[in-house]
Formats: sequence, C-alpha cells, structure tokens
Amino acid sequence: MASVHESLYFNPMMTNGVVHANVFGIKDWVTPYKISVLALLYDMTASKITLPERRRLNKLILPLQQGPDLTLGQFLKTVEECCPQTAYAVKLRLHEMADGELKDMEYFFSTLPTPFTAFDSEAYKTSVVGLFMRHMLLAYNKLSFSQVYKLYKSLQHYYHSHYAKPTDGQVDLPALVADDSDMDLTSTEDTVGDRIDREEMDTPLHESELRNDNTPSRGPLSQKQAEYFLARQAYLLKNDENKALKPAALQEELNNMLKFNPDFAEAHYLNYLNSMRVQDIFLSAHCLLHYFDRLILSGNEGKSNGDEGYGRSLRYAALNLASLHCRFGHYQQADLALQEAIRIAQESNDHVCLQHCLSWLYTLEQMKGSDSTVLTEDSVKMAAHFCLPYLASLGIQSLVQQGATQGKTAHKLMDALKDTDILHWKHSLSELIEISLAQTTSIWRMYGKSTMALQQAQLLLNMSSLEPVNFGVQQNNTEAFAVALCHLAELHAEQGLYGAVSEILLHLKEQFPPHSQHAKLWMLCDLKIQFERHMNEGKYHLAEPLVTAIAAINKTEGLYRKGQVLKALNRSTEAYSVLQRLQVHCERTKCTEVVIRVMLSTAELHWESSGFSTALPLLLQALSLARQHHLQQLASETILHLAFTQLMLGVPEHALRVLHEAIEPVLAHGSVMDKGRALLLTARCQMAVAGFRPNGQGQADLPLAVLAVDTLNEAAAYFSKLNCKERLRDVHYLQAQLHRSLGQTSQCNKSAMLFRLLDQELQSPAPPVSMRL
Amino acid sequence: MKMAALCSEFGDLVQIKKQLISVISLCKERGLLHSSKWASELAFALDRLPKDELPPSSPFTEEDAQDLDALTLAKSYFDLKEYDRSAYFLKGCCSRKAYFLYMYSRYLSGEKKKDDETVDSLGPLEKGQVRNEALRELRVELSKKHNAGELDGFTLYLYGVVLRKLDLLKEAVEVFVEAIHMLPLHWGAWLELSNLVTNIEMLKSLSLPDCWIKDFFMAHMYTELQMIKEALQKYQNLIEAGFSKSTYIISQIAVAYHNIRDIDQALALFNELREQDPYRIDNMDTFSNLLYVKSMKPELSYLAHNLVEIDKYRVETCCVIGNYYSLRSQHEKAALYFQRALKLNPRCLGAWTLMGHEYMEMKNTSAAIQAYRHAIEVNKRDYRAWYGLGQTYEILKMPFYCLYYYRKAHQLRPNDSRMLVALGESYEKLSQQLEAKKCYWRAYSVGDVEKMALLKLAKLHEQLNESDDAAQCYMLYIQDIFSCGEQLEHAEVSTALRYLGQYYFKNKLYDEASLCAQRCCDYNDAREEGKALLRQISQVRDQIETPSADLFAPLSNNNTPVRRVSPLNLISFTP
Repeated sequence: MASVHESLYFNPMMTNGVVHANVFGIKDWVTPYKISVLALLYDMTASKITLPERRRLNKLILPLQQGPDLTLGQFLKTVEECCPQTAYAVKLRLHEMADGELKDMEYFFSTLPTPFTAFDSEAYKTSVVGLFMRHMLLAYNKLSFSQVYKLYKSLQHYYHSHYAKPTDGQVDLPALVADDSDMDLTSTEDTVGDRIDREEMDTPLHESELRNDNTPSRGPLSQKQAEYFLARQAYLLKNDENKALKPAALQEELNNMLKFNPDFAEAHYLNYLNSMRVQDIFLSAHCLLHYFDRLILSGNEGKSNGDEGYGRSLRYAALNLASLHCRFGHYQQADLALQEAIRIAQESNDHVCLQHCLSWLYTLEQMKGSDSTVLTEDSVKMAAHFCLPYLASLGIQSLVQQGATQGKTAHKLMDALKDTDILHWKHSLSELIEISLAQTTSIWRMYGKSTMALQQAQLLLNMSSLEPVNFGVQQNNTEAFAVALCHLAELHAEQGLYGAVSEILLHLKEQFPPHSQHAKLWMLCDLKIQFERHMNEGKYHLAEPLVTAIAAINKTEGLYRKGQVLKALNRSTEAYSVLQRLQVHCERTKCTEVVIRVMLSTAELHWESSGFSTALPLLLQALSLARQHHLQQLASETILHLAFTQLMLGVPEHALRVLHEAIEPVLAHGSVMDKGRALLLTARCQMAVAGFRPNGQGQADLPLAVLAVDTLNEAAAYFSKLNCKERLRDVHYLQAQLHRSLGQTSQCNKSAMLFRLLDQELQSPAPPVSMRL
Repeated sequence: MKMAALCSEFGDLVQIKKQLISVISLCKERGLLHSSKWASELAFALDRLPKDELPPSSPFTEEDAQDLDALTLAKSYFDLKEYDRSAYFLKGCCSRKAYFLYMYSRYLSGEKKKDDETVDSLGPLEKGQVRNEALRELRVELSKKHNAGELDGFTLYLYGVVLRKLDLLKEAVEVFVEAIHMLPLHWGAWLELSNLVTNIEMLKSLSLPDCWIKDFFMAHMYTELQMIKEALQKYQNLIEAGFSKSTYIISQIAVAYHNIRDIDQALALFNELREQDPYRIDNMDTFSNLLYVKSMKPELSYLAHNLVEIDKYRVETCCVIGNYYSLRSQHEKAALYFQRALKLNPRCLGAWTLMGHEYMEMKNTSAAIQAYRHAIEVNKRDYRAWYGLGQTYEILKMPFYCLYYYRKAHQLRPNDSRMLVALGESYEKLSQQLEAKKCYWRAYSVGDVEKMALLKLAKLHEQLNESDDAAQCYMLYIQDIFSCGEQLEHAEVSTALRYLGQYYFKNKLYDEASLCAQRCCDYNDAREEGKALLRQISQVRDQIETPSADLFAPLSNNNTPVRRVSPLNLISFTP
C-alpha cells in the first residue's frame, strides 16, 4: 500500500527540531557549474594569456563566483567573449571529464592547485580565488561516495545537455532540470521557443538573467537564483509593477519554488506582496504570518549580527500586520496591531522600530482623518535624532501635506521641501525625491499656479531613475508618477487640449492597469475631466451618469459633482440640500478647497432666485478663506462671482474695479473656461458702465463699447475652443446688440445670424442672460 | 425502517465473508499487504465458514500458467524488497497479475530509491528535488493502457497512486473512483480516495458503487471531516449489522470519541480494544493522548512499557513514550521521542503538534513555532497546531497577533469552547470587551469544557460595572460547577459567592446575601469576608427592626430594589 512508503525520508539536517539548511556550515556545494568555474580558474593559472585578455577574465571572476548558476552555454559564451583560447581549454577539460569516467573528475580535483602550497600564484589561500577553491575542495572532500557519483552524473548531464540542444540558442533552464519534457505533459514547449528567439547571446551576464524573469522557469532553482528572482520581483512590485510577472504567473512560480524548497521564507513574503496586489486580504495575511513564523526560526542566526534574535522579527511582524490592515482600510485592526508593536518595541528598547511605529501611527491617524500634526512633528524630531533620514523626510513630507491643507504660508512649505530635498540627494533616496517633486506639483496646483505645476510635473517625468536596478530607465511606476501624470492630464484639460489629455490617459492606463494599486488615481482624474467637458458643452445628461462613478471612487468629490449637475438641471432644492450636506462634511474634515467651491455653488443657487444680496456674505467668506489658504485660483473665481453679484446689484463700476484685480491671475493661470467667463463678465461690466441698455436706448459711451466688442471677441475665441455653445450664444447676442448700437449693421447681422444658428441648434430656450456668470 | 434496510443489505454476512476471503488472497498475491490486513481483520470478526462453503480460488487461465514460474520467482524477490530484481524477471509477462506486480515493483523501487537519495543529497540545491523518477514512465505506460481500457481494478489503483504522487489530484480522484467501481472490495483504493476528498460537497458529488464496503468508507470519511455524530451513527449501524467483533470498528469509534473529547467513552473502548488485541500498536498514540489528558500516570506508564516490548521503532510507540515523559514533566526527553517519531515518519501529524507543545513547555518558543508550522504544512486543517501557534504568540505577549491563529483554529472547530475562551481572553487583553463578551457567552453556549468561560464573563461584567449581568453569570457559574459534580482544581466558587453576597447585600436582599455569606465560609480564602458580610447583614437587620422601624416602614414594604431581576431569570439575558 502506497501510503506506507509515504516519503520515509528522515531529514539529516534537523537537530533539536529545527531544520538547519547548512548542517555542516558549508555554504557552497559543488555543482557542475562550480566545476566549470574551477576549470576556468585552473586554466587561467596554468596557461599563458595575453594581458588584455587576462584583465577581462579577471573582471569576470567575481561575478562568476558569486552569481547564480549558469548553463554551460551561457558560461562558455561569457568566457569566450573575454578569451576564446581559454574558453576552448575549459571546454576541452570538461569534455575530458564528462566523456571519460569518474576517475577523470577525481583526477581533476586532485590536480587543482592547493591554496596552501601555492604561495606565488593567484590561488593563495587568502585571495578571492583561493578562498573559493578552498571552499570547493572542502565541500568536495566531504562528499560520500554516492554523492560523488551523483555529482559526476549531473556533470555529465550538464555537459551533454549543452550539446543536445541546437548550439545557436542556449536554453537557460536551470542546470539540473531533466530535459525529458516529452513526457511531462505540462511542459512549456512554446515558451522554450520564445526564449530561443529572445536569447541574444551577446547580452551581458546580468541582462540575460533579467530576461529569465519573463519566462516561467520550471523546476528547482538554486539558492542564489531563487534569491535573485525574489529580490528582483519584489523590487519590481514596488517600483514598476508592469514589468513584474503577472499575479497569477508569479503565484505559480512561487508555489513551484515553495514546493521544492519549503524552507524558503522569503518566498512567502513575496507571496504576501503578490496577494496585496490583487487585494486578497485572506491570502496576504496568511502569507505574512507564515513568513514571520519562518523568519523567527532563522532569527537565531541573526544574533551574531548584533540584533537580539527573533525578538526583533516579532516586533516587525506586528508592525507589518498593522500596515497590512492599514492597506485594506481596517483602521481599528491596524491600530491594535500597531499598539502591540509599540508595546513590544518599548519593552525591548528598540528605538528604530519604535520610530517606524510612530511614523505608522501618524499615517494611520491621517488616514482616519484626524489631525496628527503633533505626532508627525514628534516623529520627525525622533527620526532625526536616531539618524533615520528616510523616516525623517517622509515625516516632513507628510507635515508639508498637512500644512498645505491647513493654510500654512507657501514659503515655509517650500523651504521645508527644499531642506528635505537636500537630505534626499545626500542619501540618494530616489523614491523620496520623486515624491517630493510630485508633492510640489500638487501644491502649486492647489495654489492655482498652473505654470509652476506644469513645470514641476515635467521635471519629474523627465528625470531619469536613480535606482540601481532600473538605472537609466525613464519612468518608474510609483505613485508619484501617477500623481504627476494625473495633474498633467488635468492641466491639459483645463486648456482644452483634449487630444493630449487622451494620450496621457492612455499612457496611464498602460502603466497602471486597472487592477493595480494606483489605478484609482487616474480613474478619478479621467472621470473628472469627462465630467467637466460635458458640463462645459452643456451635455448634462451625459455628465449625470458619471457622478455615480466618481462617487464610487471619492465620496466627497461625487457629492460635489452631484450638486453641480442638479444645479445645472435646475433642480435647485435638491442641489441646495446636497451642497449643504457637503459643506458640513467638509468643514468637519477640513477640506477647505471643497468648502470654498461649495460656497460658490451655493452663491450661484442664490442668484437663480435673484437673491444677489444674500449671496454676498457667502462670497466674502469664501474669498477670505481662499486668501487665507493662498488658493489663488479659487480666490480669483470668487472675485469673478463677487463682481457678477455687484453687476447685478447695479454697481458695475465697482464690479469693474474688482474685476481688474482678478483678471490678471485668471488670464495667467486660469483654465480656458475661466478666462472666457472673466472676459465675458468684463464685457458686460463695460457695457453697463458705458450706460448701455439692452433695448438700445440711452446714450452709450462709444469708446467703452468698442472695448467691450474686443473683449467679447476674445471671450468668444475661448468659448469656441471648448465648444461651449450656450455661452457662445450669449456672446453673440451681446455682440449683435453692441454692433447695432455702434451702427455696424453688417457685423450686427452676422452676429445675429450666428446667434440664431446656435439657438436653433441648442433648442433649449435661452436662459435669461443676466442670470449666469 | 432504515435499520431494516441496512440489515437486509448486510443480511448475507456469509456472502460478505466469502467476498472478503477471496479478496484477501487476491491482495496477497499482489503484495498489497495493508489491504489484505484490513480485509483479514474484518473477516476474522465474522463467523467461521464451514468447509464446503469456502469460496473457490480464482480461476487459473492459460496466461497465468505461462507466467507461473516467473511470477513465483518475482514474488519472492518482491517479498524480500528486491524490487528491481523482481521487475526484471517479470518483464514480458502477459498475465494481469504479473503485469500489476511488474508495475508495482517498479513503483516501489522508485520510492525506495527516492528515500535513499534524500539522505545523501548534494546539498540544499537539491533539497526537495529528489523525486521518484519512475513515476513519469509509469504514468505514460499506464495512461496508454488506461485509454485502451486494459486496466483491471488493481492496476487502476496503482495508476491512481502514481497520479496522486505526481500531484495530478483531479485525475487521481477519477481513476480511484473507476478502480473502486471495478473492484469494490479493495480497501486500499477507498483509503487513497479518502485522502483526496477535502470536503463534504466533494464527497457527495462522487458516484460510488453501492456495496456494503461503502458504509465503511462513509464512516471513515465522516470521521476525517470531523462529522463525528454521523460517523458514530454509521459505525453503530455496522456493529448492529454483525460486525460487532471487528477491532477496526472499535478503534475507529474510539478515535471518533476522542475527537469529540468524550474521554471516558473513548478510554473504555480502547481498554476493550487492548483486551481483544493486546499486541496492537495502531491507534495507541491516540489512547496515550487520552491517558495524558486524564493524567493517568500508571496506565500510561504500563502502556509505554508494553509497547516498547512489542516494537520500539514504531511511530506510535515513540509518541506514547513522548506523552509519558511529558506527563512526568521531562520535556526534553519527550521532545526527543517525538523527534524520533518524526524521523520514522516525517509526515506524522500528531508528533509535530505534540513536539510543539513540548517546546512550549520548555519555553523554546521559536522551536515550538517551527514545529507547529510543520504540522500545518502536513495538514492545514490541524486545529491543534493553529491553537498552539496562537498560544505561543500569547506567551510572547502579542494578543493581537495571536487572534489570527485562534480564529483559524476556531474556524476549524467552531464548537470547541477552548478556542472561544482563548479568543475571548485575547480580546479582553486588547480591551475589546464587547467582542470578549460575545466569545465567552458563545463558549458557554457550545458547552464549556473547562468551565472557565462563565467566570471570565462574570468578571468582565464586574469590571464594566454591569452588576446585574455579573451576578447572573456568577449564579450560572455556580450552578454549572455544582451540576457537573466533579471537583475542578481551578474552580473559583468562592469568588462567585463573595460577589453574589455583596450584590444581594447592596440590593437589600438580605436572606439571599446571608445564604451566600454562609456558603462563603466553607472556603478558606473567602471565610473572613463571609463572616464580615454576615455581621453587616445582622447589623442592618437590627437597624430595620429596632426603633427607627417606623421611619423605615414605607421602605420595608418596598425593600426590593427597583431593578431587581432574579438571577435565574435568563430570558432577558443577552450579553
């Protein structure tokens, strides 16, 4: 019966219930690849090689010794590039061994120069080469007979599998995998073909390894290969998710790895990262805990490193659990886990861990929506004290963010950011540099300085990556880039450059596929742009369904947009209640920007009921808020509203004076829509000041009227850019009137005709011109 | 009615016996030792057949005659574990029996080599890489034959085993089902299938042949899936149908009782089993667990000595000895024996968990975590290992961290009060009183084993100043303690009485209060307080009855507090 034979092996590496990977303390085991390296070293010492070739070979030694195992083809190719003659010699030596008998291999090991005797050669015992040779000899001498025989077998296999394949394309399967794929029904023959195509043999060593990552490699990996694979995937997950394996493929790879080496704890951690990627809380929690359970075991070795063993990993285990819950929005759970981490860290006086906890604590507070400035400040101070530049500047960045929303003066914020930037460059914290740039973009944008924002965003996007792995690659897939690109898209949309916008969004979609972590950023951005566009074009029925989508991503934003749509559809009562609700909510959460915008919308609602005087205090309040927080764009918009109210209240002179204050920043930084509206308003004020009456009576001030015509022309240009027909119709109407009073009949007729055309097209009855900004 | 149907199904015990006898010889010829052992045990439990009723030996075909010499030779090599030799001489034989033995020896040879290889592997690079190289070839050959429909029940079984070893589980299940249909009496195939069935839905979806052996399988499956009630019912039916003497069934019932922690029943059954079958080693580790739980030192010691005499190199023996040492608080030695058990069979689940417990006792938390993790790796559904991990982290003072593990354990055993109490304690440590209350109440509702949940619940209520609820819980606790009859070590009846006394006193229920106070005096630690309370009560009573009585007159009519709820009134009790 089969179950009796259920792997009756006993694990020789287990002592005291704990499995030690290296029972003899030997890190290196002799593998066929290592024998090839030994042969290379032997030939290098034995034969005469010209100086440049020798130099190239010497440069190769360290990567070959320390890198993961290569196939014979790859190995020979790299050696051949440096010195064909030596490569041939090595091949010959391997051929002797592989085609000969066991004694040939034994003979090879016995002829190796002993590092203890060769004083003059490179293989002296303390040299790099000597150390390697000593390791190998020691490992070889410890092998039992059957192990030696097995080694010989695998050497033969290693050698022959190289020649069994067509020599033009080396398949980079790990050395020991059997090639009997004809029997393995699950083998991936199609990918093998793929690999051959892609494998250009003249690529440098590490490049060809990178390529490996794209093709699922079957079978066991060597320790180093596995470590490299994990490190690389983890890095990619963090910085450039698209280049990492797809979640399913990565999962499969990890399962495969764990099947062959269940003690490989790091694989569990990668598994955790991978599950986070697909938002699988169940699996990710499971993997995280599994990883730390495993880590605690290996933590005993950590004692020699000065840390006090597994206590340390316990603390970080709790901390990681907190971050996991934080990521999934379980704030209460995260809080509990964090408390635990803090308590353990305190008990063992681990300041560094405590510092990490503290920075998580304020992040958590922030996420929960409460004010955490004091905590953050403390954290920054402590981090600076313990020389943790990363945490310190992360804290400062977070402080800057809070300061920006709370209306701290701009120069303070910028100063702080500049200081941290110096820190970043000093410690080359490339990730933080990116964040810092993205943050500056956001701050400028918030202040309404679109040119500065644009410049900062471009700076970030044009910056080359500083990360060692992705060196020279232009873009990483971090949140910072997503933010910058979103800002870029919105800035372009404001200028009515929708072609560019769609290109940027397409790029975003490619870089951050919908399932990925930062995808929500561009989704919201995309929706907002569409919404604005439909609103500008007066297609309210198209804008309405977008509201639900926006609300799904961002509740506050969704509510605001809902109010706007309702207002546009003349459902004032509903709009009013929505806006009131929103205002209360935002005042509580200190969302100043939204508060001001809500006030403006409410004021517009007042206009509709001709309550111009009731709108005034609201607008003044908004203005003071905007000025207090340095929100220039919103301030200008508020001034426009104020001016309009004044116009309606019959004091156009005042209105014109107020407008002069706002027109400059609007023209400099505002969106096309704002520019158009500002100019239209100016024209109307000018007309009013000129004493112009709609029915053409009264004595008009002609020069001012001419000025108004010019202003209207300009406004018309902006509106036509946005295809904003309703406002265009207003413009034409006013133009026609002006021309008539100026006696320019032909132009009057032309404007009147344009008005008529638009009026027919729009069908909806024109709202009273006076009622809208 | 159901019983009658079952009896008719089993009515022909003679027929069953005949079937068993024939399948025993079939299995023996093919070297399937465990299946033949199982069948023999069952056959032994049935009445003897008269001579002329014995089934004829299987028909002898021309092919069999041809292969007879080779087969006999190969079988003897096979019995001596010279599998390669056996396979060599069977090559080219065409009878079905020879073909099975040929394939089976190749399979076993591969397995044996794999085990040998593991010992001297070429370092961590190869670790876990060692595999049975014969499997692939066997699979290719068998699948060809399978497609051609040339496989009989035994070869199908072997094909299934090969598939399972290659991790092709879905295909393996199909093949095993097919094998069972072809040859229902081969218990090995059923057992292999049972290893692949993970849940009840899967079990229900299988189409199994309608044979008496199916009942054995279902009962076994129910035990595996922790559906103990159903399993016990099945086994009871089998006993009533005439298998009452079967040691197999008795041991299975005992294991089932062990699983639902009905210790006395299980112990009685195991004792009976040992009387009937004194040299039995199977399942004795479970027996020792029971003895351990009951702290029956002499019995455990006797068992351990007895088993060592029978065979000291068996997993079960090592586990029993480990338990024995553990009970004597010699945890290092205990851990040593569990390790020995694991060396004999690394997939022995119980030993991993028990070793974890030993390391816990030795305060070697990291080794304990490792052991528990191994146990989980062997079987994800091992609730004891999850529970143990939770305990380890609790010891490391990480109450939030251990919640996850306790939750896991609770998921696997939703009706086990220990996990619930552990969960409640963790929540309490995290000051999540509401959750803690829920856990304790649930623990009480599912039947509290350790009788601690109510006490903890009461204390929690006491902390939160919910005196009525606390009093109710204490009352229930006292009832619970006294109703279970036996004396528990950690019982805190005095605490409960003390609180109740004070509670009644505060609520001016002096009769009840004095009763409680008097009972308090039975306990050493509460005697003084009890006396003090009695004195207070008598004082207050004096005051009520003495001159100022008219002053208190309106009160004394109404001396029940406004919110008086009888502690026994449980209707409104929802924590």
